[in-house]
Amino acid sequence: MNPVFNMDAASLSPVALFIHADWVVKFVMIGLLLASIWTWAIIVAFSRKLARTKKGMTRFERDFWKAEDIDAFHRMEQDNELPSARVFSAGVQEWRRSTAGGHIDRDGTRERLATAMGSAVAGEIDKLSDRLNVLATVGSVAPFVGLFGTVWGIMRSFTGIAQAQNTSLAVVAPGISEALFATAIGLFAAIPAVIAYNRFSHGVNRVEASLNRFADGFHTTLSRQLDSAR
Amino acid sequence: MERGERIGLAIAVAGHIVLFGLLSVGFLSTPNPEKLKVTPIDISLVKDVALEAASPTPNEQAAQSVAPEEGAPEDAAPPEPVEAEPEPQPAPPPPAPQPKPQPKPQPKPEPAKPEPRPEPKPQPKPVEKPRPQPKPEPKPKPAPAKPAPAKPVHEAKPAPARPTRSEAKPAAAPKPTTPARGSGKSETAKTTRPRGSHLGADFLKGLSADPSPSKSQAAPAARIGAQQLANIASAILRQVQPCANRQVTPGPGAERIRVAINLHLNKDGSLAAAPRVVGHSGVDGENERYVDRVDDLAIATFKGCSPLRGLPAELYDVPGGWSNFTLRYKLPG
Repeated sequence: MNPVFNMDAASLSPVALFIHADWVVKFVMIGLLLASIWTWAIIVAFSRKLARTKKGMTRFERDFWKAEDIDAFHRMEQDNELPSARVFSAGVQEWRRSTAGGHIDRDGTRERLATAMGSAVAGEIDKLSDRLNVLATVGSVAPFVGLFGTVWGIMRSFTGIAQAQNTSLAVVAPGISEALFATAIGLFAAIPAVIAYNRFSHGVNRVEASLNRFADGFHTTLSRQLDSAR
Repeated sequence: MERGERIGLAIAVAGHIVLFGLLSVGFLSTPNPEKLKVTPIDISLVKDVALEAASPTPNEQAAQSVAPEEGAPEDAAPPEPVEAEPEPQPAPPPPAPQPKPQPKPQPKPEPAKPEPRPEPKPQPKPVEKPRPQPKPEPKPKPAPAKPAPAKPVHEAKPAPARPTRSEAKPAAAPKPTTPARGSGKSETAKTTRPRGSHLGADFLKGLSADPSPSKSQAAPAARIGAQQLANIASAILRQVQPCANRQVTPGPGAERIRVAINLHLNKDGSLAAAPRVVGHSGVDGENERYVDRVDDLAIATFKGCSPLRGLPAELYDVPGGWSNFTLRYKLPG
């Protein structure tokens, strides 16, 4: 391997292809490269966050069902940022508000508990899947942007043919190669984005399902507690 | 932006830089093994096929004949040098020199004289040098010939034979003298008469004031040459190529069979008769069972593209021309 930057347009060196390209194609390439970087940043951050969330939720639920005193557990986990902790916190707060007065409306309390925890689940899922729309956008748009760069570059190549009055491959090939590089970068950005989007939406769905299960279980517990009170 | 996203961004940027750096320094950039280089090719555009005849300078006019320059006419030489010449050879006949001055001024009286046979013989010898060998023979014979008339008295057979010889030889002897005068150009100075080409009345026929375009006096070619035949054959094969490409090779090895096919063509290039296979080559054990099929395919090929265009009309009915043309054909493949 020769550790020297290969600036020959006939090579596959991305730097050479970028430098020889038209400014529109350069713009497209830069945008696609940034999209790719952003996509991979999201992929790295999101996969770590998702793994951490799943692990934390499993541990939290195990601890919750083992806890003797819900109030004490709530005080302990008050500052927890986990989605299940938030849902638990929302349920406990609603329980306290509803049972603070002398008269307790059981049906109304159950309804409010369910609504509070449901909205907490929805909010947490929204927060979790915040960046997924970026992946979806990059995955669907990047190929078209790359194609735009390619079309522009090939148009420019043909203009070059017309100016050079020469149709030899040596005149056309570098321009077309540079233009195709735009599509290559577009696909390079789009393919991981699409894969990651599908994988992460699946992960988010599982987190949502487990949150809902936890919320239902907690709601059942609170509802039973409501019946036994007085 | 959360802390996790910042970490992810840093990782992504680092990964991209590493990837594109590797690509740029040649990790995957195979330096194009085949550069786009243009190697010049010699192209010859052949417009006409076989328009030339086969003679070295085809179809040119033969060079004009020019009469040889003979120089100024000379008067007859004095008789003295003639006398000097005969002396070396004709030693035996001393009386001969006397009649010589007589025959030379007038050559024709000589053949008219049958009687002085021994006398004219010495004359041709000095004049013509190529003939000296045969002439020494007659000389001794005339000598016996003279006794010969005496011999018939003794023997009848040899006697008539020898006189005939002696007559024939003298008869032959005077003849060399006449050609000697006409043809002996090298001896013009020695000969007694001025000489020149005989120019007939039609000598100037066909001559023009223009200089002769040709340097060769050879006649134009009588038949077309091998190169022209090859050109015609390739022109025909080129025209039947579309039909040949439609034929399906009957089996492996069949494309090695070369079929000699005979075409009878009309002047417009159409077939005057069905093509005829007149021979094969390249037949071996592997493909001999395809021979008949290849014959049929070859005939079908030439029938299919039958009106052949662009063959040179002037080479149609010359000997060996393409009115009856045999060429070698093999299946494409």
